[in-house]
Amino acid sequence: MNTSDKSLFTRAIQWEQELIVHEETLRANPWRKRFQSVFRNKMLLTGVILGLVVLGLALLGPLFYDADYARQSLRNAHKPPLYKGYLLGTDAFGRDMAIRLFVGFRVSLFVAAAVTALSLLVGVALGMIGGYVGGSTDRVVRSSTDFIWGFPLILVAVLLVGGLGEGLFPVILAVGIVNVAAITRVVRGEVVVLKEREFVEAARAAGVSRFRIMWRHLLPNVLAPALIMASYLIAVAVIAEAALSFIGLGAQPPLPSLGKMIADGRGFLRINHWEATVPGVGIVVLVLAVSMIGDGLRDHFDPRLRHERGRKKLK
Amino acid sequence: MLIVLLISSVAVFYAIRLSGGDATAAALPGSATEEFREEFRARIGLDKPIYLQYFAYMGKILKGDPGHSITNNASLVEMLKEHGKNSLVLGGAAFALVFLIGVPLGVLASLRRNSWADHGIMSFSIAGMAIPNFWLALLAIWLFASTFRILPAAGCCSGKQLILPAIVLAFEGIALTVRMTRSAMIENQNNDFVRTLRAGGLSEWRVMGKHVLRNAMIPIISLAGLRIGQIVGYALIVEQIFSWPGIGQALVTAVLRRDYPVAQFFSLVLVVLVVLGNWLADTGYTLANPRLRRSR
Repeated sequence: MNTSDKSLFTRAIQWEQELIVHEETLRANPWRKRFQSVFRNKMLLTGVILGLVVLGLALLGPLFYDADYARQSLRNAHKPPLYKGYLLGTDAFGRDMAIRLFVGFRVSLFVAAAVTALSLLVGVALGMIGGYVGGSTDRVVRSSTDFIWGFPLILVAVLLVGGLGEGLFPVILAVGIVNVAAITRVVRGEVVVLKEREFVEAARAAGVSRFRIMWRHLLPNVLAPALIMASYLIAVAVIAEAALSFIGLGAQPPLPSLGKMIADGRGFLRINHWEATVPGVGIVVLVLAVSMIGDGLRDHFDPRLRHERGRKKLK
Repeated sequence: MLIVLLISSVAVFYAIRLSGGDATAAALPGSATEEFREEFRARIGLDKPIYLQYFAYMGKILKGDPGHSITNNASLVEMLKEHGKNSLVLGGAAFALVFLIGVPLGVLASLRRNSWADHGIMSFSIAGMAIPNFWLALLAIWLFASTFRILPAAGCCSGKQLILPAIVLAFEGIALTVRMTRSAMIENQNNDFVRTLRAGGLSEWRVMGKHVLRNAMIPIISLAGLRIGQIVGYALIVEQIFSWPGIGQALVTAVLRRDYPVAQFFSLVLVVLVVLGNWLADTGYTLANPRLRRSR
């Protein structure tokens, strides 16, 4: 036995002991397993912490920080942060930036939540129906999702706003439509594979109805990939809402939106850059948090990647 | 592909016509009487059933006469020429930048894998995909136009004014191309022919530059069509920020002013562009890869 073999051998024993200790602690405290894997995944942890900060500011900020986001005070326009009780300064109309940031977070999160709920509900249903029923139904589902998916999100949104008028609702609808297509594609792909598996065939042979097969047997299996996809799409929704509000098609004044705030502040970069940088940093933090959660979740649930991580450790 | 074009033109037409706002509100003064408004609608054909409007509209476009703006009565053909030229300059510059910057950086990262250069390039690429481009645009204006004052903040159409919008427009495409090039290069470095070429005594430079790169370029070139769609989408925002008078800017302005002939025509132009790009990406794969061509 040469030295490298020997060291491998001792390391193997070490690992085994670690594993035993690990399993014993798990038996003592089963909940720890869940949290531990979250804590081990630094990306996911950072994302969750950042996300909680933003969520906290959005939900609790307006409760504790008493101000009106629409109240103007031209005398106090263009003030930097910490000026006379204005935590983050004021904008061109002397409106309080801090409360506008908090409410802007609310708007972003609301749009993201609405879009995600819409795209998950419709996307999962369409994907399962298309994938499981097959035939011409599937063809319709597939070609329409491919059709929508081919267009840039912003173009679809501009078209819909052109039809429905400005506001948050057309934005939600536009982003929702494109994201439905994304989720439908993922779910359909999963279902097409799943429906050939034995457990589905067994259910079918036992005379379980189509609906029940989809609800009880397919849904739990497609939920994880759909949720991971959805977590990516949250970032897309946040950016799209901000971009559309930025060019004036999204949230209408006086409702603050991060994109609109950046647009309002961009003319005054030299006077008081905070008017643009505060919402700008806000949006970057929000997007980073959401995409880190998405990446972390994927690492967490995708066995293929977990394997790769394991291999890296072995080297 | 023709079917897709047809469906999307119908979709564009209906989407714009859903318009809750009254088209006459944009063109006529507020004091116009209801009868006058009716007459105006009849004159521009808004009183007929919508499918008839669609056929009339498509017929007019195919004849080369898409009509006039209802806010300033400018001819749409003239507008398309002027804005289209500006958009082509900006979009073309961004499209070229995507590949001129993206591919070399990706190759560099793959050749110096796990070095500081690789890590630097890859973190830049991740940042490029996380930063919304309107925010990037603003930072660029702040840095280069306000602070250092070396580049103009907005406007058209000198070379200097082109630099910032083109880079911002290309940024996400560059980031994506870097990642794709890097992984394609790494994947192809494991091919058997690489070992054979090395054993045959070919210099590392030629192995990588000629043989591996060529294979790695297949997916990148064939997906170039998708970048067109991406650039079209982002141009809507970037042109607005840099006041670049292109199609995207005209479209957004038209939507905000409810100038529906302009909105309809320009969105149709962009949709056709995107469909063409997607079609190119679909067919490009076989074109770029001779092996697939033979197997067909």
